[in-house]
Amino acid sequence: MITVESVTKTYGSLVAVDDVSFKIAAGEIVGFVGPNGAGKSTMLKMLSTYLYPSSGTIAVAGFDAVTESLEVRRRIGYLAGDTPLYQDMRVDEFLRFIGRARGLRGADLDRAFDQTVDLCGVGVVLAMRIDQCSTGFRQRVGLASALIHDPPILLLDEPTHGFDPLQVIAFRELLQKLRPGRAILFSTHITADVEAISDRVLIIHLGRLLGDGRVDELATAAGLPGDSLEATFAHLVRASASPSPDRSHA
Amino acid sequence: MPEAKTPKVQRSDSSTGRPAVVAGFASGIWVVVKREMGAYFDSPIAYIYATVFLVLSSTTFMNSFFLDSIVDMSAYFDLLPFLLIPFVPAMTMRTWAEEHAQHTFELLMTLPLRSLQVVLGKYAAALLFYLLILAGTTPIVIMLVWLGSPDLGLIFSSYLGALFLGAFFLSFGLFLSGLTHNQIVAFVLATLMGFAFVVSGHEKVVAVLDGLSPGWQLGTWLFESLSVMPHYESFTRGVLGLGSALYFLLMIGFFVWMNEVTLRRNRF
Repeated sequence: MITVESVTKTYGSLVAVDDVSFKIAAGEIVGFVGPNGAGKSTMLKMLSTYLYPSSGTIAVAGFDAVTESLEVRRRIGYLAGDTPLYQDMRVDEFLRFIGRARGLRGADLDRAFDQTVDLCGVGVVLAMRIDQCSTGFRQRVGLASALIHDPPILLLDEPTHGFDPLQVIAFRELLQKLRPGRAILFSTHITADVEAISDRVLIIHLGRLLGDGRVDELATAAGLPGDSLEATFAHLVRASASPSPDRSHA
Repeated sequence: MPEAKTPKVQRSDSSTGRPAVVAGFASGIWVVVKREMGAYFDSPIAYIYATVFLVLSSTTFMNSFFLDSIVDMSAYFDLLPFLLIPFVPAMTMRTWAEEHAQHTFELLMTLPLRSLQVVLGKYAAALLFYLLILAGTTPIVIMLVWLGSPDLGLIFSSYLGALFLGAFFLSFGLFLSGLTHNQIVAFVLATLMGFAFVVSGHEKVVAVLDGLSPGWQLGTWLFESLSVMPHYESFTRGVLGLGSALYFLLMIGFFVWMNEVTLRRNRF
């Protein structure tokens, strides 16, 4: 469903993503872990077609993310970091706006709206303006906007940001419910989330992919068999040689 | 790099077999128009703009109307370009800058809409809002008909000129808003551009510029090739010239296209 081959993204002399390759199949939940500024969000922005890679290729559902970006956007549900929402809209207005922008109309829109509202538990805030909702509810509304068109591919950037522990558990259950037939990639700082729900982990640091595999595989490869993802992650990040402090091509 | 057109043969989109839903070109634009109109009218800004514009333009007109005692609207339409110089940029400055401020630009650009649909949607909403405000001046026409026999053909042609003029100002206002994340910068740039397009049509400015560059005749060149005033004034004189309509349509098309190019460039 997602194939990333030798993708690099540069901003001037800064290399945000450096020669990254990976694949994600349908039915897989993959956690994307890395410190702040590691390149997680940039990678997700490229998968969502918001940004185009500087080099390399990205195929989503068989469509090229640059030359067929519109086809890619039709097939993804994307929750960007910072959870961008129109703060001046009511929750129901916002979700219907997203549904219509995704081509849903009439009874199809009503059905998709009701299902997504139930799935994400935003029924109690439907009549509220988004800027009056709590952080957790805003996050759920963002999640609902990514799900309303029942996409086969889900890209979630820090989806549990602002959730309380109960909401985190509900989110994990939701991802398990959504798993069948879908490729799901989510980024997070919280390694416990990844261990709890991911089939596979991608570890990224300074734009480079340091690990791609199951938690136990990565721990064994790092010489820490049986250790937690947190320990493996810390070991890999510390061990990785940084090319230069600002990741710039001199 | 251009966005690809929808392929005629759809590839298999997922193992789930769910088809990708597609919004038509016009309906995609309409979705954006409705969202933008909601944004205008859900906040007090729209009402403040409309009130300030109508009060300012109508009171200035009424002043000259009572002084001149002539039953026509020429004084109103003479004043309009100068009112639009600050008014339209105040309307358009938030259009893209606000999307960046709220981080919703990313949301908008990852929806399955073409950049052109988004630009046209925002432009059409701004134009509708401007039309509504312009419609607010119709009591002046009713008053003139009640008081005497104004030249309704001239008034109609002047309104058409006002529509073209506003549509033109909106096109570059939106384009300049797309170049910056800062509303104030967008306002200042659009005001300066509007000012340049209007004053380059003023005879004294033309004379001064010609005097500064006698060999080049810069003032005359600007007046004849770029200034909006000769084209707007042909409408306010009652001449529905094809050349002037073409000038407006080409300029509007150019700035809308530039706005779309700017959006696409953001992906690189």
